[in-house]
Amino acid sequence: MNLIAQTLADGLVLGGIYALAAVGFSLIFGVLHVINLSHGILVLLGAYLALIFSTTLHIDPLLTMPMVMVVLFAVGYVYQRFLIQQAVDRSPLGSMLLTFGVALMLQNIMIWVFSPDMRNITPTYAFTSFKLGPIAFDAVRVSCLLASLVLLSCLAALLKFSPLGRVIRATAQQTLAARLCGVNVRHVYALTFAVSAAFAGAAGIVIGIILPFSPADEGTWTLNAFVVVVLGGVGSPAGALIGGLLLGIVSTLTAQYIGPSFPNVTMFLLLVLLLLVRPQGLLGNAFAPSR
Amino acid sequence: MVHSKKATRRRVMANFGVALGAAALGAPAIRPAHAQVKTLVIGGSVPLTGAAAETGLNVNNGYITAVSYINDVLGGVEIAGEKYKIDLKLFDDASDPARATTLIQRQIDEGTNFFLGSFGSNIVLPTAAITERAKKPMVQTGGGSDAIFTRGYKFVFGMFPRATRQFAATAAMFKSLQPLPSTYSVIWTNDAFSKTAAEGVRLSCDAAGFKRIDGYELPAKPTDVSSVLGSVRATTPDLLVCVMHDQNSLLVARQMVATNTNVKLLFQGLGPQLASFREALGKHSEYLCCSTYWDENVPFKDKFFGDSKKFVEYYKTKFTRPIAYHVAGAAACIETYILAMQAAKSTNPEAVRDALAAANYETFYSRIKFTPEGDGDELLMGGMIGQVQKGKLEIVFPAAAASAKPLYPAPDWDKKA
Repeated sequence: MNLIAQTLADGLVLGGIYALAAVGFSLIFGVLHVINLSHGILVLLGAYLALIFSTTLHIDPLLTMPMVMVVLFAVGYVYQRFLIQQAVDRSPLGSMLLTFGVALMLQNIMIWVFSPDMRNITPTYAFTSFKLGPIAFDAVRVSCLLASLVLLSCLAALLKFSPLGRVIRATAQQTLAARLCGVNVRHVYALTFAVSAAFAGAAGIVIGIILPFSPADEGTWTLNAFVVVVLGGVGSPAGALIGGLLLGIVSTLTAQYIGPSFPNVTMFLLLVLLLLVRPQGLLGNAFAPSR
Repeated sequence: MVHSKKATRRRVMANFGVALGAAALGAPAIRPAHAQVKTLVIGGSVPLTGAAAETGLNVNNGYITAVSYINDVLGGVEIAGEKYKIDLKLFDDASDPARATTLIQRQIDEGTNFFLGSFGSNIVLPTAAITERAKKPMVQTGGGSDAIFTRGYKFVFGMFPRATRQFAATAAMFKSLQPLPSTYSVIWTNDAFSKTAAEGVRLSCDAAGFKRIDGYELPAKPTDVSSVLGSVRATTPDLLVCVMHDQNSLLVARQMVATNTNVKLLFQGLGPQLASFREALGKHSEYLCCSTYWDENVPFKDKFFGDSKKFVEYYKTKFTRPIAYHVAGAAACIETYILAMQAAKSTNPEAVRDALAAANYETFYSRIKFTPEGDGDELLMGGMIGQVQKGKLEIVFPAAAASAKPLYPAPDWDKKA
C-alpha cells in the first residue's frame, strides 16, 4: 500500500513538471495552430538563463523566474512576429519547418555559447527531503511542483479574467470576428507566443533544478510537450495539467510495476490509443466550442 | 552605376589574372621546399553536437593536441626515411550514426586510408563496418561495445578492453575492500554502451563471488528514477553499480541523496571523473567511485611528449577545457598510428594494420597492446579505479598506480553533508 502511495506521489510530482513544460506548447498549438518544434529550445534557454542569473546574482534559482520570463517573453514576441508569422503567411507547413530549423540552429548556438557539457542548477535545498507519514518527498521536486501549479493557475487566470486573455480566447475561437471587432490579430498571435515562451522559460528553471541538462536535451522536452498536449487536449492549462499528471503517473506506475525501461513504451501506447479513441484529447480543444 | 559595375568586374578579372600568374611563377620556387615534407591524411568523424557532444569534444581535442604537437613542435614525424606532417580531416557527425557513416564513406571514396573513431559504440560500430569493408584501419577511443570486437573485424582497434571485460579491475577492487562486501545491484540505461557494460558488471561480479540482488534497466534518457531507488532502499545491496552516461549518473546520484537511499559504496562508471559532476553534488560526491583509463600522474614514458605531465602542459596551452581521460586516449590513437607506421616502415593501410595488430608500445596513456580481436589488452589497457576524496579524484586501484587507499564503507548521505 505504501509502495502504491509512494509511486502515485512520485508520479504526481513528475506530472506537474511535465504539465508546466507543455503548457506553452499547448497554447501556441491552440491559438496559432502552430506546432512549435523549437519549444524544447525555449525550455532550455530558460534553464540556462536561470543558471546565469542565479550564479551571478547569488539568488535562489526560483527567484530568477520573473527575469527569465521577461527575457523569454521578449524573445518569443520577436520570434513569432518576425519569423514564424512570415512562414505562416506563406504555407501552413512552413511554420513547422521553420521552428524545426530554428531549433537545430539554436541548439548549435547553445553548444557554441554554453558548451555541450551537462549543467545543473543546485539550490541550497537541492538534497533535502521530508516525509508525510510513510511517503518520502524530494523537497526540490515538491517545490518545483508547487511552482508549476502556481504558474499554471496564473496562466489560467490570465486567460480567463484579464483583457489580454479575453482577446487571446476571442482570436483563437473566431479569428475573423476578432479582426472585425478591431483586434490586431498579428499582435495577439505574437503576444500569445510571447506568453507561451515565458512559461516555457519558467518550466526550464524548474527542469534545470531537478535534472541535469545540456543542449542535446531540447528534443526530449518538445516530444514530452507533444504527448502531454495529445493526452490532455489543446489550448488550456487544465488540459496540460491533466495530460502532464496522467503522463507522470503512467510513467512511475509503469517503472514500478512493469519495469523501469518501459515508461516510454506505455507513454506512446497511451498516445496511440488516445489518438484512436479521442483524438481531441481528454479535455478537447479549449477554443473549439465557438468555432 | 552600370559603368562602375563593369569597371569593378574588369578590375576583379585583372586581379585574378595577376594572382594566377603569380601562382604559376611562384609555384616552381615553392615546390622543392614542400617536397621534403609529405602529408599523411587521417580522417574520421566526431560528435561535436548532439547527445554525445560533451565527450566528443574531449576526443576531438585529444586528436588535435597530438597532431598539433607533432606538426608544430616536432616539425612532423619520420616514417621509412621520409618526413610527414599529419593532416587531420575530422567532421562533426552530430552524434548521429547515419550521418557518421555517410561522412566516413565519403572520405573513403576520396582516398583517405586511415581513420580515427567517433565517440559512442552506436556510432563506432557502423562506421567500423565501413572501414573494415574498405580494408582501412580505424584506431578509436570511443567504442567499447563487445559487438565492435566480436564480428571478426581485422582493421579496428580500441584503446580500452571491450565492455564486458572493462569491469574486471573494478570487481578486483571490490574484492580488496574491508569489510568484504557481499551483494550488489546494477543499474543501466537502454543503450549499446550501458547494456554491454552492465553485462560486464554481471560477469565480473558474479565471477568474483558477489551475490547479485537486482538489475534495473532505465530508458535511454530517464527523467525520474524514484521507483528504482525505492527498490534499492528495500533490498539494500552493499554495492550499487551504475553504468550509464554522466548526465544520467548525476540524476541517479541526486535522487539517491534526496531520497536518502544509502548503500555502502556507489560506483558510477561515468560521472565522478568530471569536475562539473563533483561540483554539482558538492560534499555528497565524496566516496563515489568510478573507472578511469588515465591520470596525469601515470608513470609511462612517451616517445613524443615525454610523459603525461608534459602532455597535460601542452594541452593546457591549446585548450582551457578541463582535461579528461578521453583526451589522452584520443591523443594516444594518433601516437599509436605513427608508431605502427614507423614499425611497418610504410604508410600502406594493410601493412599498418599488421603493425597495429603486433603493437607493444609504451605511450604516456598506457602500454598499447591489442587483443587478436582488436580491443585493448585487459591487463595493460584496463581501467584504474578512482574515488572522490576531499573533492579530488584519487586513484585507489590498482595498488601500483594508487594515490590513495579506497575508503569503505561510505557514510550515509546526510552524514556527508
